[in-house]
Amino acid sequence: MLIELNNIKPTYMSDSEISESDIYLQENVQFKKNKKYLIKANSGHGKTSVLNFIYGNNTNFNGSISYNGIFRNNAFDLRKSKISYVFQDFKLFPSLTVFQNIQLKNTLTNHKTVEEIENLIEEVLLLHKKDSLVNKLSLGQKQRVAILRALCQPFEFILLDEPFSHLDRENIKIITNIIVREVNKQNASLIMTSLDEMNLLTFDKVLNL
Amino acid sequence: MLFKLQKRTLVVSQIVGYALTIFVGITIILVTTQFYFDIKPLLSQQTDMFKSKSAVISKNISVFKTIDKEKIYFTNKEIKELENQSFTKCISKFNTATFKINAYSKKTETVPVFYTDLFFESISDTYLDVETDEWKWEPTLDFIPIIIPENYLNLYNFGFAESQGLPVLSKNTISQIEFNIQVSGNYKFKDYKSKIVGFSNKVNSILVPAEFLSWANKEFGNLSRNRTSRVLIEFNDPSDKTILEYFNENNYSINKEKLEFSKLVFFFKSAMFFVIFIALVIIILSISFILLSLNLIIQRNKELFLNLYNIGYNYNRIAKFYQVFISSITVLSIITSVIVSNFIRDYYLEKITNLFDFTLHRNYILILGLLLMLMLIIAYNILIIRNIKRIVIPRNEI
Repeated sequence: MLIELNNIKPTYMSDSEISESDIYLQENVQFKKNKKYLIKANSGHGKTSVLNFIYGNNTNFNGSISYNGIFRNNAFDLRKSKISYVFQDFKLFPSLTVFQNIQLKNTLTNHKTVEEIENLIEEVLLLHKKDSLVNKLSLGQKQRVAILRALCQPFEFILLDEPFSHLDRENIKIITNIIVREVNKQNASLIMTSLDEMNLLTFDKVLNL
Repeated sequence: MLFKLQKRTLVVSQIVGYALTIFVGITIILVTTQFYFDIKPLLSQQTDMFKSKSAVISKNISVFKTIDKEKIYFTNKEIKELENQSFTKCISKFNTATFKINAYSKKTETVPVFYTDLFFESISDTYLDVETDEWKWEPTLDFIPIIIPENYLNLYNFGFAESQGLPVLSKNTISQIEFNIQVSGNYKFKDYKSKIVGFSNKVNSILVPAEFLSWANKEFGNLSRNRTSRVLIEFNDPSDKTILEYFNENNYSINKEKLEFSKLVFFFKSAMFFVIFIALVIIILSISFILLSLNLIIQRNKELFLNLYNIGYNYNRIAKFYQVFISSITVLSIITSVIVSNFIRDYYLEKITNLFDFTLHRNYILILGLLLMLMLIIAYNILIIRNIKRIVIPRNEI
């Protein structure tokens, strides 16, 4: 799938607020298949907004976004099989356990078996928390659960909004390996936002916002 | 998983409250509506509830009037005045036979020989409280249908038959007895077959079809003697207190008991509609209550629904749980209502059949219950989807 952003700009930002951006107000920004992109900017510059525009849960922007040449106002139909998203605020369900949170997504797609999910949980060192309620977890643990949940679906693009903000170097390494493995397995692309450069992951393109 | 998540959003007390109120509301609606249908024929048999609010009036007979019989007749002026009263809806005059009538039987196994003088009256068919196909007459027919007051039968069964050791007769038995009528006058006579085709509670007279009487009065009667001693008056509102005042002032006689019964029926009918109105209010309140509760649930769990939508659950799937849940509660409540309403109906029918002789009306409880159930479920399903859709999809995307 090819995602193209044409002259996009959040409606809440004036033209003067946007300076030297590789994305906003650019005539055509392309996110191609099998590529890894990093969107880099300081806080408050609209990194999350770009991902939300692409994912379709924020339509407050000028310009247009096309998916394989098709312009969509609501990209909901792509969420189950084309685009996965690791939200910055995780969007987990506190009254469910770690396993149930992941399974909630998996029941929609039937993408992974219970064993595969358990293996992933073990890999991110959370097997002992598998049946704990999510609201009992630390931020770093929640972040790992949110990432695993995003992997439980087929996708052509995975959007990661500052996915390692609460993780230590050791965990970032583990998670990065899993993400790259899944992305490669699905021949998918990756769009990640971050405050800084990321040394553990090689990107095809870095875009400054 | 989704079920577990959404189950927690429900508030048990709200659901129980809804189930109870919808049960009470629907039960009252079902019972009162069915009761109305059950009691309707009984009321129209007992009185003239629907066509009605009417009474027969005549002049009071005093000692002087027995000497001067002219005073028992209504003058045209008096009838006009009656017509112009505010409580009068319309008036119908009784026609009286002005010729000689005899009823007699020939000796058969079933009917003893009898011979008696009779009188006939007629009134417009609109005011009759008896419905029968036999109530018709044409000059070519040799058959005259007769309607007698139900009181006559009671008088015979409980008075005459009792004291003379004769068998009591049911309405059906009497209706099967055929006898002969001879009308005569103006030096002519004619014989007819006749039968009693109905019993009236409303008109205290021996009635024949109006067409027959006007024909026979011309043929055998004395048209100059055709005067009105009784009129049937239909009221706009039988509970109008000026009715009795007016009749007392003018010394007219009216069957007060019947008028009171008409009033009673009128109040009964009003009370019934009032109860149905209250039941409707209860139902509307319970529907508003559950919709308000659902809206509260949706608003309180807005973030949950948004998160579900964000991870790929569409609004139909999110709404499904609430649709199934509310529909199930509604179905259960209404089924319970239908069962309870049938029990209540059985109970009151047992009481009524002990007191009155009446035919059982069709049971509408199930059909009405199913209809209400269907309407509510369709409405809930549409509203739930609409509300959840509004929450998860930003307005400019819908």
